[in-house]
Amino acid sequence: MPTSAKPKLQPFANDADSLEIAGLTIENGADSIAVYGNLDLTRDKPGLEKARTLKSILDAVVQALEGDKALPDKIEPPKKPDVVKNPFG
Amino acid sequence: MRRHVRILPLLLGVALLLPAAPQPGLSALSTCPAHFVAGDDPAIVNPRLAQDTREICYSGYAVLHSGITRTPLWSAEHLTRDRVADAEAMTRENAFHPEPSLPPAERAELKDYQRSGFDRGHMAPSGDMPDPQSQQESFSLANMVPQNRENNRGLWAHIEMAVRRLAERDGDLYVVTGPVFRGETLQRLNGRVLVPTMLYKAVYDPARRQAGAYLVRNEAGDQYETVSLAQLKDLTGIDVFPALPPDVKAAAMPLPPPLDERQRRRSRTTAGGGGRGGAEGSGAEGSSAPSRR
Repeated sequence: MPTSAKPKLQPFANDADSLEIAGLTIENGADSIAVYGNLDLTRDKPGLEKARTLKSILDAVVQALEGDKALPDKIEPPKKPDVVKNPFG
Repeated sequence: MRRHVRILPLLLGVALLLPAAPQPGLSALSTCPAHFVAGDDPAIVNPRLAQDTREICYSGYAVLHSGITRTPLWSAEHLTRDRVADAEAMTRENAFHPEPSLPPAERAELKDYQRSGFDRGHMAPSGDMPDPQSQQESFSLANMVPQNRENNRGLWAHIEMAVRRLAERDGDLYVVTGPVFRGETLQRLNGRVLVPTMLYKAVYDPARRQAGAYLVRNEAGDQYETVSLAQLKDLTGIDVFPALPPDVKAAAMPLPPPLDERQRRRSRTTAGGGGRGGAEGSGAEGSSAPSRR
């Protein structure tokens, strides 16, 4: 299967994009980009390809944050869910 | 009967609302029974759960979606050894999306999960999907529940991995995954999406004629239980594999422990890198819970 050299993910542009690099998942978000799972960067050609993909994403994230004139000290905390009666109870 | 009743409003919804959108309901008519044991979809036993539900069939899985919870109630797949191999060869670039075939009032939207603190937890895992179409379909919010982050990224991912290895070892598995809504009250995101208290993943292993289910709380931690399908039905109000005989439903199959991907890579290396069946395949008769640690 082809490895995508330059992923289309635009940091913080939406709450939709999801990208997987081997076992590592990257989920875009307006407030936060989730990075989880794990990844072996092997000393071979696939390892280089994965490292480049990861780097291009991280570079784009840093660039987006550095270029954000209104970057807050801290994002707002999560909204609290409300509590309702269980409709199936 | 029941299935026809449910599919009709879906087709109607697709036709009326979204003439140009992808139409999972249509392609599904032919592929849907393939996701179920003997072609029988899971049966809702608790009538309150059945309210405002619609069955949606995709190429790689099927769901019963609830307009009350704005989540699936079950998600069904037939996982084969070849499918797992194809899925693991995939590079994945996908997009979470609201389900176009559902009426907007019944479905979750991306903004419902925004800044909620919860992950959008796949019920049918994207890691089980063998081609770009099924991959993308698995990112429908009709396949998602609000899931504790740590749980989704840790324990739950490891349960998904253990189930893929089991499918590899025994050739094929039927898998039904879903949320459990228990207790007097429930949390709700954005006034719209109900947060499940627990999650289940049930499997039927045709090679062994055995079935069982993993059960986890929707919270951080590594605790899980395994239960019989009969116990699962009492808990969820859903008979996940109605076609199975009572004795298979009554006995909880020993299920392999949750499996960390890193452990898997190590075991592949020691097994000579074969992968399919590999380390687990060898000693398997009778012990379906190989010790990995």
